[in-house]
Amino acid sequence: MHRHPPVSDSAPAAVAVEDLHKRFGELEVLKGVSLTAREGDVITLIGSSGSGKSTLLRCINMLEIPDDGRVVIGGESIALKKTRGGASVPADSRQVERIRTRLGMVFQSFNLWTHMTILQNVIEAPVHVLGVPKAEAVDRARMLLDKVGILAKADSYPVQLSGGQQQRAAIARALAMQPKVMLFDEPTSALDPELVGEVLRVIRQLADEGNTMILVTHEMGFAREVASKVVFLHQGRIEEEGSPDKVLTNPDSDRVRQFLSRHLSGAA
Amino acid sequence: MLELLSFGPNGWGGQLLMGTAMTVAVAVSAFAFGILVGSLGASAKLSHSLALNVVADVYTTIVRGIPELLVIYLLFFGGSGVATSIASAFGYDGRVDLNAFTIGVLAVGLISGAYSTEVIRGAVQSVPFGQIEAARACGMSRWLILRRVLVPQTLRFALPGLGNVWQLTLKDTALVSVTALAELMRITHLAAGATRQPFLFYSTAAVLYLMLTTISTALFNRAEISANRGVRRA
Ligand SMILES: Nc1ncnc2c1ncn2[C@@H]1O[C@H](COP(=O)(O)OP(=O)(O)O)[C@@H](O)[C@H]1O
Ligand SMILES: [Mg+2]
Repeated sequence: MHRHPPVSDSAPAAVAVEDLHKRFGELEVLKGVSLTAREGDVITLIGSSGSGKSTLLRCINMLEIPDDGRVVIGGESIALKKTRGGASVPADSRQVERIRTRLGMVFQSFNLWTHMTILQNVIEAPVHVLGVPKAEAVDRARMLLDKVGILAKADSYPVQLSGGQQQRAAIARALAMQPKVMLFDEPTSALDPELVGEVLRVIRQLADEGNTMILVTHEMGFAREVASKVVFLHQGRIEEEGSPDKVLTNPDSDRVRQFLSRHLSGAA
Repeated sequence: MLELLSFGPNGWGGQLLMGTAMTVAVAVSAFAFGILVGSLGASAKLSHSLALNVVADVYTTIVRGIPELLVIYLLFFGGSGVATSIASAFGYDGRVDLNAFTIGVLAVGLISGAYSTEVIRGAVQSVPFGQIEAARACGMSRWLILRRVLVPQTLRFALPGLGNVWQLTLKDTALVSVTALAELMRITHLAAGATRQPFLFYSTAAVLYLMLTTISTALFNRAEISANRGVRRA
């Protein structure tokens, strides 16, 4: 079986999360999480529903603002401050916007802009955020749509595509920003089973090309194949992390073992 | 008898045409002003500021809770006074007299705006939040998200409701005739009295209003179809 090569400990950190805390009201969802993705790493985040995987991913690009701890992207620490009410907010929204351009995000529910064609979706941010000339953005968008296998749908609207095609369009949209890191939040969970494969194939190709990625998934077989590191989250803490062979085959934690026995049943 | 509707020296045709044009001018201006007020009202209702919520609620409650004719009287008899005190607050000493057209546009616009507020608020809430998040995740600024995602999507959800508001607004302009502004209703009234043919002129006015609403409904339908590309399959 194909395996991701281990990433050297001396590779520069693309994303570093340090002692992250996040509360929603009374509920403490992240209780001090630290995680480093080095360049070339493919980290899969696994864990039961509600363990905080999405929240962790969304804190990395500041869709959720952590209450405590630091997020460092490519060596640049995101500056946060406290309001008088005690809420945590970005100190400089420009910095957050700039850093987000280096992080591509793929959502479970695709979130394509429904009033734009697929091509318009893909060129939107390069043209309006990065200032790429339109012709150049279109060329690149077509190349990316070809890469994910939906060039023929360039002029269709999202509603005219299947879920798998929409998710591949969303991946092309994220790639169009030429991000340093790709974040995937359960990219296949909203898909009919027969459409999962086409999306996983695209993600696997990105992994093979050496892209740095953090991926929340319930596809354990896939996690094992693409991951350089697997991180198991339990109730807002990292329960265990390590190589896929270690965590997914011979974990130290009983919780991970129980989780796997529930989730590996169908996987090869 | 039909000579009375002609454009000849004894006919009212020219005046009716002018009145219709005035009605359209008041309606379009009031509708546009209403959309401006409605956008502000919707933002206020959706904002996290309690003060803004209350201001917007008071506005829509008052305007929708009193007869529309009364709104026009209030502005007709109080509007110039209010405008004068606002002007003096900005250092202007003279008296500000609002003409009948401005008063009509303000009054009908405020009524229209109260309905637009609700339509626009509902439309903003219909925009799927994930699409806003996707825009934020790409590094778009608030302003860019507003311009490129929120407004186009809101417009699409708001168009059917705004079409209804436009029809109400067009018909409400008839109330402005009490201020003697020479719009269609006022001209019709004058012609009916002068010629002693009230039924002829009122039914003519009915046909003219119907033509305006029919044409504008068709335009709104076309706008909806073009805005709905991507929502329903063509
Ligand atoms: N915006 C929010 N407001 C309140 N609670 C939230 C919010 N987002 C997530 N939660 C809660 O935080 C916990 C962790 O959620 P999440 O990070 O989505 O978990 P996972 O992705 O691992 O399933 C859950 O209990 C969830 O209900
Ligand atoms: Mg989740």
